[in-house]
Amino acid sequence: MPSASRPASDRRTVLAGGAAGLLLFTLGGCDKLMTAREAREQGADFRNLTAQETRTLEAFGEVLVPGATEAGIAHFVDANLVRPHADCLLTIRYLDVPPPYGAFYAAGLKALDDLARASAGKGFADLDGAGAADLVRPMLAGQMSGWNGPPAPLLYLAVRSDAADLVYGTPDAFERLGLPYVAHIEPPTTW
Amino acid sequence: MTGARTDALIVGAGAAGSLYAARLAAAGKSVLVLEAGPAWKNEDLVSSLIWARRLRWGGPPVASGGDNPLGVGFNTGWGLGGAALHHYGTWPRLMPSDFTMKSDHGQGLDWPIGYDDLRPFYDRVQEEVGISGDADEEVWRPAGAAYPLPPLEQFAQARLVSAGFEKLGMKTAPSPMAILSRPYKGRDACIYDGWCDAGCPIGALANPLVTYQAAARKAGARFVTGTYVTRLIQGSNKGEVAGVEYIDGDGAAQRAEADVVILAASTIGNPAILLNSTGEGWDGGAANSSGLVGRYVMGHSIAAVYGFFDDVETQNYLGVSGAQRTNQDHYDKTSLGGGAFGSLQWQIGPATKPNDLLGVAMAKANLFGEDLTRFMDRAVHHMAVMFGFGEGLPVRENRVELTDAKGPGGTKLARVVHGFPAPSMKLWEKASELGVRVMDAAGAADPWSGPPASAHLMGGTIMGSDSETSVTDSYGRCHDVANLFVAGPGLFPTGGAMNPNFTNHAVSLRGVEHLIGNWPK
Repeated sequence: MPSASRPASDRRTVLAGGAAGLLLFTLGGCDKLMTAREAREQGADFRNLTAQETRTLEAFGEVLVPGATEAGIAHFVDANLVRPHADCLLTIRYLDVPPPYGAFYAAGLKALDDLARASAGKGFADLDGAGAADLVRPMLAGQMSGWNGPPAPLLYLAVRSDAADLVYGTPDAFERLGLPYVAHIEPPTTW
Repeated sequence: MTGARTDALIVGAGAAGSLYAARLAAAGKSVLVLEAGPAWKNEDLVSSLIWARRLRWGGPPVASGGDNPLGVGFNTGWGLGGAALHHYGTWPRLMPSDFTMKSDHGQGLDWPIGYDDLRPFYDRVQEEVGISGDADEEVWRPAGAAYPLPPLEQFAQARLVSAGFEKLGMKTAPSPMAILSRPYKGRDACIYDGWCDAGCPIGALANPLVTYQAAARKAGARFVTGTYVTRLIQGSNKGEVAGVEYIDGDGAAQRAEADVVILAASTIGNPAILLNSTGEGWDGGAANSSGLVGRYVMGHSIAAVYGFFDDVETQNYLGVSGAQRTNQDHYDKTSLGGGAFGSLQWQIGPATKPNDLLGVAMAKANLFGEDLTRFMDRAVHHMAVMFGFGEGLPVRENRVELTDAKGPGGTKLARVVHGFPAPSMKLWEKASELGVRVMDAAGAADPWSGPPASAHLMGGTIMGSDSETSVTDSYGRCHDVANLFVAGPGLFPTGGAMNPNFTNHAVSLRGVEHLIGNWPK
């Protein structure tokens, strides 16, 4: 099983790493397998998301599920957006949004940012907690005046679930919640 | 290349395809199985609901629309084992009334066979695969052999919720599960870790890798993965199929020929292949003189009901992903009244992990921020869950159809259009109300029900008595093409309120044994 710092040399290694909770990131010009949390801590490059999208996604994920930013939601989504559809680990593949998914996230995050600018004069990531919550609250019901993007409920569910995966779906998270992970095949490293 | 012509060519290595392969190979037929996805092994089934997403369809996109879109991405499979690799192993039988809906109520469809025709196949499959349950406790259960294994272990949330049913004068019984409560035929017993959705690597849950696929390989059937079948090749006339065209793992177009072709490529994949197969006399697609290929697609509605038991650890993370107990007091199709039509089955106490589509966090999808944090801290220890599976009335308008979008090999991509008819939606509403009353009676705090959801994919290549009203006969043989068969829940004219995989196995066993005894000339 690849370790967190072992260079990924081929697709088989990448797939094995994915099963272990590791994803492929670029750090200092070298490809490495890391968890999303490690990738964020070490400042790994983004391959798909822009800097603006990254800021918005981290802020959005944090509003939805506290702890998502530190858990590496932006790196988690980014790494999965460059994987083939069949290897993608994002919940969005359950929501019947046609792949590739990069355009969905880009358009959704832009719509969220645009709405924040239209309503509060600043980007979503710069809103205070109450302002961000006010913008997010009507999303699931799709009651979004001025929304210009993919269906807001889908974006809400996708990012909320991405965040919940990282904050609640790992062996570490189970331990925090006081739950036994009781795995048949334990993920050998934490997410 | 897949080599020489074979006796039988099977498209899809899920539950139905694997059973067909096992029986045909055992009968001495040369068998080739073409599977679009990867060659999963038990050791690939890591206990993680994040990882489990790779077990779902990863091929060309399938669009899903209509008033109540079916969850294609969640309900389908990808690779050896198909959807049955991540299914939950809840294996109730259909009821006799499910076979006579049209005759009894003037709605929906009838099957061309009755429960008694399938009963011996249910009995044999359950003995081969191993089902845990208590036939006597299931007072609703139709006639049939007792289960070969005692019920699975029960955990707190099932006992708590069952008490609510009893207070309302209703009964519960252990769910019949294709999960081993004891070691059986060389397979290990369940350890109740609740990871069924991620696949069961110890083989306690009857996934095809450890049941019929293992038998098929032993008998000589050959499985080739990474091969995407695009269309059928017409034989010497419109009533005959010669084989299939497919895209191999290197992206090259190939052909495979066989005496008999069996489509077992899912409820969506089968009609998509048929509709993409055109030729002389196949103007609307192969085996489609009825115009019904793709029609009568069905799903089950889900009434998700929750409640808190704050003084008790509900152990909702333990057990199995399917259900611990069942109630079928409202299986009669008109028993809920008020305009509701269709059968209802409760599945009580499924193991619920914190994340994923059916996880704790999604039980109240409207919560976010600190409200969600507080909810999670409470719910992971004190929430109880049950799901009411409601019958979707079969209607012609619900369909798999081709779009103008191009897929591999010049094919057209598929789209599923589905909406629950009004009586089915009323059934869901009534089920949700009933479920909250049950939770309340059980003493749950703050009981609530979730928004409409759906599960299971059935219909689209329905069986029937003739070529005007159906695609195949009761064995899955296409009315229009004598050596072409369809296998899987796509054959069902009605789906009752029962998880489809046990009936899928029984119908498949009946079909393949008939095929072996009546091999096309």
